[in-house]
Amino acid sequence: MKLGNLIISGIVTGSIYASFAACVALWYRVSNILNLAVGDFAMLGALGVDNLVRVHHWKLAPAIAAMLAAVAVGAYVYDRIVLGLAQDGRTRQEGIVVTFFFTFALSFFIEGIAELLYGTDVHAAPAIWSGQSLSLGGGLHVDRAGVLVVAFAAVVGVTLALVLRGTLQGKAIEACGENFFGARIVGIDNRKYRRLLFIVSALLACVFGILESPITGYTYDSGAAISLTGFIAAAFAGFQKPGKAVVAGLGIGIVEALLGGYVSANYADTILYALLAAAVLIRPGAMGLDVVPE
Amino acid sequence: MPKSPPFCAIRDVLAGDNINGAYDGAMARSWAPRADAGAEPVRDGASALAISNLSVTYGRVAAVHDVSFEVAEGDCVALIGPNGNGKSSIVMGIAGLVHRRGRVEIFGRPAPADDVSFMPRHGFTLVPERRQLYPQLSVADNIVLGGFSRTRSLRRARASDAHRQALELFPELSDRMKQKAGTLSGGEQQMVAIARGLAADPRILAVDEPCLGLAETVSRRVYDVLRRIHESGRTLLIVEESPVRALQLATRQVEVRNGVVVRA
Repeated sequence: MKLGNLIISGIVTGSIYASFAACVALWYRVSNILNLAVGDFAMLGALGVDNLVRVHHWKLAPAIAAMLAAVAVGAYVYDRIVLGLAQDGRTRQEGIVVTFFFTFALSFFIEGIAELLYGTDVHAAPAIWSGQSLSLGGGLHVDRAGVLVVAFAAVVGVTLALVLRGTLQGKAIEACGENFFGARIVGIDNRKYRRLLFIVSALLACVFGILESPITGYTYDSGAAISLTGFIAAAFAGFQKPGKAVVAGLGIGIVEALLGGYVSANYADTILYALLAAAVLIRPGAMGLDVVPE
Repeated sequence: MPKSPPFCAIRDVLAGDNINGAYDGAMARSWAPRADAGAEPVRDGASALAISNLSVTYGRVAAVHDVSFEVAEGDCVALIGPNGNGKSSIVMGIAGLVHRRGRVEIFGRPAPADDVSFMPRHGFTLVPERRQLYPQLSVADNIVLGGFSRTRSLRRARASDAHRQALELFPELSDRMKQKAGTLSGGEQQMVAIARGLAADPRILAVDEPCLGLAETVSRRVYDVLRRIHESGRTLLIVEESPVRALQLATRQVEVRNGVVVRA
């Protein structure tokens, strides 16, 4: 029974990691930048909605709509000003600084703003589907918020797979990741896809934060840990395959829950990093660290 | 522009130079002159392609200086010159793939310098040096993406005449459509690159170093395909370091030295 409940809990958090990992991997393919701020958009969604409802007495639906709009505008502005300056000029900047620090800096910036606006206490957006946790029989339980999270993750995953495999736009996104210059030759504007996917990632993260926060609660610095786990899951997939990143995210969620239940939550991160290091050493090719031939 | 007698004579000799007769039937069916060739009239007095004072720089290095030339519709122009003298930069500048100064007009329409989709959308497609395929995508996906400038619908891109004709031009690719493009031989990759270019239904096809790194028999096959594409009514711009083969097909030549046109 304990094992079952831990696995259910792992699937809930794993589905969030999976979705974030898919977003990180997908955006990396298009932009060569790792989105280390994706978790901060989740935190922003959760704390922003909580603030509007609890402090400013907004109704839940307008509060969610307002936060989604604010996050979309913020992501758009960041792309136009910062990412545009880095990548859209006469020379496209690439390398370790661009890959890591352009969104790392954004993560710190969002945390600072959130601390200023929402303080340091733990808060959560009001539950969209409130009530007692659902019984699955045999002593197994799942939070209603958890059901929403898994359902939303499934919808996002299926939609992503359909778009990538079944549409010309999806193949264009793949082409951007395969060959930046080759994509431009057939008229694919990588900048538009970079911008679109950055905004979509931010919005998805925001929705996940709103859905999931009733389970765990968020503080201004909760986003970094979520981003990092998404990053690890994407790393397991070599930052190349969103599908593999989803599997890795789910696996990490379940392993994390089991470690928390049977060992100690304090060791969970350490063990995950050790697994990542081991994977890099044992299968560098699968981690996208080998040279891809023309 | 009428072809000069020496070019015609050499081309006629090459017409029987197909290394594989199996291709002839399919090509003859598919590559009759385009019914819509010239359907969109060139604006009065306008060339298919007019380049004025084109300059391309990479940082502080100037690769192309104030290049000007025109290409008439139906022409086959060979852009020749030694390696590293700016030929590829010229075609990439025309395509809007590198930062450029100067004026580029396609069928009388000025092309913006920072819009990569403008030229393919208005009929100019580049088959670049070293192919620039998507190695982990299938051959079919590589080719269908050529139609991206024409439609955003996968179904329409696959069903287009241009896509069908591009596939029929290379029957040897038919059983490799699901194979990853990166696993093909150099010659097959060149065929995929040309097919991708043709899937955009271009009126002007620019081909940069089409035989780079290819065996002699494969090079002949590539030029045989280019000849048929030209005969179908399309304008060709061929960039070649070694001009012998290009000049056998070309109706005009533009010679580039040190980033400057020395003969047009």
